[in-house]
Amino acid sequence: MFAQVLYEGLTMGTIYALLAMGIALVWGVMNILSFSQGEFMMVAMYITFFINAALGWDPLAAMPIVIVAMFLFGLLIYRTIIAKALKGPILGQRLVTFALGMVLSNGMILIAGGQTKSIAEKIISGNIALGGITISKEKMVLVVTSLVVTGLLFWFMNRTKMGKAIRATSQDKEAAGLVGINTQTAYMIAFGISAAIAGAGGCAMTYYYYFTPSIGTNFMIFGFIAVCLGGFGSIGGAFIGGMIMGLIDLFTGTYLSVSFKYMAVSIVFLLIVTFKPKGLFGR
Amino acid sequence: MRLKSLIKTEKSFVTQVIIVFIILALIPVISHGEFFVSTLCLSVIWAIMGIGWNVIGGYAGQVSNGHAMYFAIGAYVGALGLKWFNMTPWVTMWVGVIISMALAFLIGYPLLRLRGHYFAIATMAIVECVRIICTNWDLIGGATGVSFFQRGANPLYTLQFENRIPFYFICLAFMLVFVIVSRVIQRSKFGYYCRAINANQDSAESAGVNSTFYKRWAYMISAAIVSIGGALYAQYIQYIDPVSLLPLSNSMLIVLVVVMGGIGTIWGPILGAFIMTFINQYARALFNQLSGLNLFIYGVLCLLIVLFIPNGLISIFTSGKLTRLFKKNKSAAKEVN
Repeated sequence: MFAQVLYEGLTMGTIYALLAMGIALVWGVMNILSFSQGEFMMVAMYITFFINAALGWDPLAAMPIVIVAMFLFGLLIYRTIIAKALKGPILGQRLVTFALGMVLSNGMILIAGGQTKSIAEKIISGNIALGGITISKEKMVLVVTSLVVTGLLFWFMNRTKMGKAIRATSQDKEAAGLVGINTQTAYMIAFGISAAIAGAGGCAMTYYYYFTPSIGTNFMIFGFIAVCLGGFGSIGGAFIGGMIMGLIDLFTGTYLSVSFKYMAVSIVFLLIVTFKPKGLFGR
Repeated sequence: MRLKSLIKTEKSFVTQVIIVFIILALIPVISHGEFFVSTLCLSVIWAIMGIGWNVIGGYAGQVSNGHAMYFAIGAYVGALGLKWFNMTPWVTMWVGVIISMALAFLIGYPLLRLRGHYFAIATMAIVECVRIICTNWDLIGGATGVSFFQRGANPLYTLQFENRIPFYFICLAFMLVFVIVSRVIQRSKFGYYCRAINANQDSAESAGVNSTFYKRWAYMISAAIVSIGGALYAQYIQYIDPVSLLPLSNSMLIVLVVVMGGIGTIWGPILGAFIMTFINQYARALFNQLSGLNLFIYGVLCLLIVLFIPNGLISIFTSGKLTRLFKKNKSAAKEVN
């Protein structure tokens, strides 16, 4: 039982981590609290669903297309909305992403209707019994996707020129501009990547979860909390924060009460922030 | 004598109040369709909440994304007081205010030390806790909520009117009080300290402003005003449940209303509340066949206003061409900001 819950908690944690890393990237680089990240995930789920319905492709096969589509979508959103919002006040930037989320989720209700959707046929399905633990193969897809995305993101941010440029811009925009980094491009790419992460996450989540156009809102606050737990928009912190949240979620859900598990997450967060106002790993 | 000099220095504000409230009071006389008047009531209630949020968010610059909590407290206390003890909302709304202020006092201590996004997220997390408690606490209605329509009682006692026009005037009276409160705060030393904290907390502190103290009081006053808004809303809608009172979008809509109207101004929240409530209500009535379209339109409008009029709709009146047209009122218009 304990091992099973631990495993499920880590699985749940990878989902939170995927959401949190996208938020952390935008937060860390351009200091925007992105309320639309959950909706990006929702859009990715529906793109997967439409591809599946029209062409019959498995979500795994559709994933590269979804990621590229979401990356381009992110660039488009940055170009049309975020770039302009960045010139305005900080509160305005936050509200713009909130309004964008409202537009996306209600636009999706208009396009696809408000009913719950899911993908029926999947290539990988079934369970593996491993000692005392039952491992769902569908959830495994999620975990593997999350780990691969995290690995790629770390490689990109630490090893490539563009990733270094983005990190430099997030540390000091003006200094980065002075040494010849095109900060506008760095912002745009960072936003696109954040949308692409949501793309990978949303696509993988269709493997296991039902979804509706309003699913993004439910996730968002937990994404924020995960980012906060890690501290100031650091991607590694967000990953660990997501994992911690997954564990709290599953352990309180199993051993205490299902209806109060989100409250436990919030209370743990509030306690941590009370004593460490900059998060667990914040400086 | 003192009153006279006060009126003299506040001449432009008093003129604005008189003009605005005469117009608002005359609207239902001219047009009194049921839907129209109930939208007016809702606008005034949102305006009250906007004024409340503006105290902490606009003056003190602490952007709380969790004011739906105080809204819900006001609504629940009013509703349950009437349902259980048959107490008039005139009394219970002040009970709600006391509870809200006490809660704001308590959670203000850890929360107001946080800065920026952290404060916003922490307030959201607290609302999430309150929502879960309300949903699972069967004593106060649980997920199904409370309905407390009282037939045959004196409407002045229960604040539940068949005809919405008297209720509209009661809401308007509350709004008048809070507009004056807002002005008093803006002009007082307290208001100046709040704005100093908003501009730069560290320099305000080094100049001797006790930022924790003032932020906490601003938070408590703001919670109290929003709680009154909640009490009025409960009597307006006569049915409350956690899903309609405590979603994240409610907290955010309070912020949106203020920012779209003009943050940190006196008339901004009112303008924002009226425009947005009317758009939302009429879009909902107009497109009730297409679910989602009304909020889609609302979202697009919010996006456009926040992007292109970052200082809020009130800035159309206080700057640029319009003021040049009314040169006489120029100084009056400047006062607003």
